[in-house]
Amino acid sequence: MSDPTNLALLALGLPLLATILAAVMGTCSTLAKWAHLPVVTAFAGSAILALLVLSKVMQATGSEVAFLSTAQTWFHAGNLQVDFQITVDPLSALMLMTVTFVGTWIAVFSVGYMHDDPGYARYFSLMALFVFSMCLLILASDLLLLVAGWEGVGLCSYLLIGYYYAKPSAAAAARKAFLVTRLGDVGMILGIFLFWQAGGYHTNFDKLFAHITANPPDSVTLTTACLLLFCGAIGKSAQFPLYVWLPDAMEGPTPVSALIHAATMVTAGVYLLARAMPLFVLSPDAQIVVALIGGFTAILSAFIALAQHDLKRVLAYSTVSQLGYMFMALGAGGPVSANLVVTAAIFHVFTHAFFKALLFLSSGSVMHAMGNVIDMRKFGGLRTLMPVTHITFLCGAAALAGFPLLSGFWSKDLIIDMVYQASEHGGSHATLYGLVFLTALVTAFLTAFYTFRAYFLTFWGELRTPPEAGHHAQESPLGLLAPLIVLAFGAVLAGITVEPFAHGFSNLLVKAPSVVLANSVLHVEAEATHPHFDFALAGISTLLALSGMALAWWHYRTGIETVPAALKSVYRLSENKLYVDEIFNGMFVKPAEWLAVLSRLCDGLLDGVARVVSFIPRLIGALLKPLQNGLVQFYALGMVLGLAVFLTVVVVRTSQ
Amino acid sequence: MDNPLDTLRMMLLAVLALPLVCAVVTAAVGCCCPGLARRVALLLALIQLGLTGSLVFLAADTLVARAGWTLGTEATTTYFEPIAVPGDQGFGNNHLGQVHETTWSLLTFAPVPQGLPPAEVQFYVGLDGLNVWLVMLTSLMTVVAILISWEAIQTRPGAFYAWLFALQTGIIGAFVAFDAILFYVFFELTLIPSFFLIGYWGGGPARRDAAKKFFLYTLCGSLLTLVGIVGVVLTNPTPVVQHKDGPLAHYGPLVVAGQPVTLEEGPITFSIPRLMRNVQTWADYHAAQVQRSTESATRTPSAEAQQALTQAELTNDRHRAVQVCLFFLLMMGFAVKTPILPLHTWLPSAYGEAPIGMTLILAALLSKLGTFGILRVVIPLTPDAAFLYGLPVFGFLGAVGIVYAALCAFAQRDIKLLVAYSSVSHLGLIILGLFTLNREGLSGATLHMLNHGLSTGTLFALLAFLIDRYRTLDMRQYGGLIGRFPGFAFLLFVVCLASVGLPGLNNFISEMLMLAGLFEGQHTQTIGYGLAVAGTSGIILSAWYTMTMLKCVLFSPHQEPAPVGETPRDLNRREAVAFGVPAALCLLLGLYPQPVLDTIRPDTNVIVRCCDQARVRAGYEPSPAEVLVQPETDADALTVPPTAVPPLPVAP
Repeated sequence: MSDPTNLALLALGLPLLATILAAVMGTCSTLAKWAHLPVVTAFAGSAILALLVLSKVMQATGSEVAFLSTAQTWFHAGNLQVDFQITVDPLSALMLMTVTFVGTWIAVFSVGYMHDDPGYARYFSLMALFVFSMCLLILASDLLLLVAGWEGVGLCSYLLIGYYYAKPSAAAAARKAFLVTRLGDVGMILGIFLFWQAGGYHTNFDKLFAHITANPPDSVTLTTACLLLFCGAIGKSAQFPLYVWLPDAMEGPTPVSALIHAATMVTAGVYLLARAMPLFVLSPDAQIVVALIGGFTAILSAFIALAQHDLKRVLAYSTVSQLGYMFMALGAGGPVSANLVVTAAIFHVFTHAFFKALLFLSSGSVMHAMGNVIDMRKFGGLRTLMPVTHITFLCGAAALAGFPLLSGFWSKDLIIDMVYQASEHGGSHATLYGLVFLTALVTAFLTAFYTFRAYFLTFWGELRTPPEAGHHAQESPLGLLAPLIVLAFGAVLAGITVEPFAHGFSNLLVKAPSVVLANSVLHVEAEATHPHFDFALAGISTLLALSGMALAWWHYRTGIETVPAALKSVYRLSENKLYVDEIFNGMFVKPAEWLAVLSRLCDGLLDGVARVVSFIPRLIGALLKPLQNGLVQFYALGMVLGLAVFLTVVVVRTSQ
Repeated sequence: MDNPLDTLRMMLLAVLALPLVCAVVTAAVGCCCPGLARRVALLLALIQLGLTGSLVFLAADTLVARAGWTLGTEATTTYFEPIAVPGDQGFGNNHLGQVHETTWSLLTFAPVPQGLPPAEVQFYVGLDGLNVWLVMLTSLMTVVAILISWEAIQTRPGAFYAWLFALQTGIIGAFVAFDAILFYVFFELTLIPSFFLIGYWGGGPARRDAAKKFFLYTLCGSLLTLVGIVGVVLTNPTPVVQHKDGPLAHYGPLVVAGQPVTLEEGPITFSIPRLMRNVQTWADYHAAQVQRSTESATRTPSAEAQQALTQAELTNDRHRAVQVCLFFLLMMGFAVKTPILPLHTWLPSAYGEAPIGMTLILAALLSKLGTFGILRVVIPLTPDAAFLYGLPVFGFLGAVGIVYAALCAFAQRDIKLLVAYSSVSHLGLIILGLFTLNREGLSGATLHMLNHGLSTGTLFALLAFLIDRYRTLDMRQYGGLIGRFPGFAFLLFVVCLASVGLPGLNNFISEMLMLAGLFEGQHTQTIGYGLAVAGTSGIILSAWYTMTMLKCVLFSPHQEPAPVGETPRDLNRREAVAFGVPAALCLLLGLYPQPVLDTIRPDTNVIVRCCDQARVRAGYEPSPAEVLVQPETDADALTVPPTAVPPLPVAP
């Protein structure tokens, strides 16, 4: 059996090479407009290699499939040893495939979308660096190497969100994204070192998992460490309370939103938790927190998405909401066997990558035609103007809403099924899992409603275009439409072909070492637990999705938004994002800034204290100076007085 | 020369002496034709850099080999063994035959009988893993400092560069000294050039005041350190046993042939490696005396035995109490120099007023003198006190410093002061790393000295770009420079990311190692996770102020203050080298730090062993032993054999 790690290494190396090439081309003005060539080629090459890797993994036999590359020391001192080493197992192979495949089509779309932009080479160089970091994150077999990819992804998203650097809002959004995700990373680093300490000084996944599952630390340490690790996922995968950066991140170019904030980067947290499943299943308390945070985020962001006017923001909040679904699924691991929950989460990552990238790129196509206007109040009825975009957007929206047989339907249904099973077998946490289950159902209804609200507002009713559109107001060129069509096929078919009948994901993921280990911790026989299709649950969720769509049709088919007077206040609340940004600003950002100013004042005070201390010698000098007055009589008097005092003391002491 | 070690010795002397020669030459050139001074200075500094580079290159193999790494046998020494010591009477052409000591006397105190180490201040210099990279950094940063002072220094350039070279001598001397007094002399020697460089060539109106403050503040601190050094020397003379041939220095076991050894106080010594041995021997000896008296008092309870026990306990306690006092005295000078909160108040004015080249030296090198002093002098000479009070007192101050200085940095509007405070914040983490006294923490701290010198030094150097063009560093006047100066923006960005600790750049490695050191089980049990959390909070805090600065300067709508002279252009060739080379080194050290860690390893292990003894004396466990994990390189095999997992309580 040949070794797929070399192929994976090549798939990892190509985007890095493209980064450097595109950057070098950017320094030469004639070459700069060809900077997409190395990037698109590298992405396509990586996607093909990833497919080869996946096929090798599928061919591999045995109950566990994992290939490790040769370890190369990155740094090592004392008991901290970190290696450059990649793991190819079903989990990483699937993720690698998803990222590179969707990435390729987004890069193709970017060629048309970003043409004539002054920072063309910079854009493609960063895209390539982003995909490289994401691949590194996926393939890393060491926690700290994963952190390297993790931070690289954060950096690239920072630079890409701030791509239009001269725009103050873009600069602010970029900074916000970096800082908020870094806040999560603080927790993650603490979690990693807590595991390092408790796990026999390993940061390598396999060794750490083996050590922790064999010698589990006390439950407080374990739960704390798991939750700290989850903090990183909260930041990167935009969960409550750290989701606030993602909607702002729409300041970047639209293909960036598609790549970073829908298809790949935000799934890093999901991937991390799937990878670390053996650790999380050891701690039921951590798992219920994961599920609850996922559920809360899902319903919260779905509610906010209801009244957004910016088409991309609607999609951004829906991303947050869908990520919440994935964490609900992962959080169900424990009561439900690990292979099922990982399948559900990763399958949703997979389908979500298709339909969300499609939705973003379609909205990018709309934005392209509308002269960079994305406010849904300013345009409408575009279905006649942009027929292809209309169809592709509809495919994506229906998949997101969970329309039966489309890709989103299958994966979301699987997640709801997982949460339902968890509520049945959840032990002491069964009630809470029940709550999460209800949340998932309500969110399914809301999702269908807000998605189709956006769809009807954009494409139905009378044709309206903003003045900024000018002569652009027409269907986008073929270069932009081709990726949309490919992704639309993905959004429609990716679900049904892969999992529900073929069990492609579940059969593969059950062989991932971390899943096997997690299952053995749970004492689950993997064969006995294939995902089954629960018709009753599917019926309920379909009903909810269809009723949401119907409600949206009934209310928004004219393409004009009207708000019933009774719901005005709720609408206002949703429109203003529940004031979460304002609350965080008042609660954390402003106090921190005040504290900084206070520290600076305090520093002045400290300096004053130091100056006062330095004044003491001078003060003593000034006090003693009058004594040196040069008068002999004064000195003689002093001597006599001193002698008298001395003699008195001597006499008194001796006479006692 | 036949012996490669002789070559190293000569080179080390040359590296130490050349800057002095450079100073004289530059001063002379500056007198006759000032226009030529900067070229001469650059040429000489490059020669010095080449010489240092070849020294480090030649020494690296020997330094790595010392640990017995290649032989698979771990060294067990608990004192420094520098190589390339001029005046070493050893034989052979590798490190094994060396005695690692010098015979070059500077000042003899008293004649000493044959067989005992001499009581003299020696010209004892050498290389080991702790100082070799810092010497390299010094030579490199001097070149950078000269390059960025190119345009800025117009008045008496000859004198400026001459003082810069004099300062370099002091810094390198302090790094390579292994004699306590020699170290102190070099340490103080840096003050005079610094005083003139800040006071005469400084940029602001308050430069004289700043120079005076810097001078007096650091002098006050280091005088206390001098008291500490003298105290350590006097309280830890060579332990001597009487032998039939006369007195002999005794460092071996305290029980020979079943008989306890009686130690007497021999001649004093100033050699740091010898002092380390003396300190350990006396501490062990007093502890053993207490133990022996306790045993005899329990075996045969009598008033006499009880009195002997009380006496032994008293001696032991007094010895320890003296060491604790000496520890705090020794720390004072280094705490001011580093600086550790709250002794940092000289820093804003000194960094702010100094010419940018001097600010670079202050941040990159002089602050390292403080942390290096802790590493070279404080911890080895007072290990017991360093274990008991290091982390609780100075670790705490360092942790507070990380957060406090980061907050102060955020509130600054002047970029120079922002970087100055960020430097304090990072140095707080080094202090934490140093006092973890374990392998990860000490390696990380030692590596971070180099990394911090590179990244913060380069950050200051980059500010020279703006100063040369606009004469102001008020960040509110800048905006959108990324479009105006792409080359500058790129380098500034890379170096800022290094300073923020992004993986792939140098600071990440050392920060992770220091944090790992803080997570040692012993520390988290005794002082909890507070320090570790404070250390980790630096990750977000540094990003907070750095990204805010970058948003203001590089991003946002374009604006710039009125330029000086003609329309400013992007990096010229001189600047591209001055900023590009260290930035490239940041990347290199981030991707491939292991060679540096391998050279550092034997010497940090010496300190760890030394401190492990102190831990045992204090009744604690030694730091976790190093598990040499050799990664399995079998790529073909299916990994992770199915592990037998014991039954676990799982929710039903």
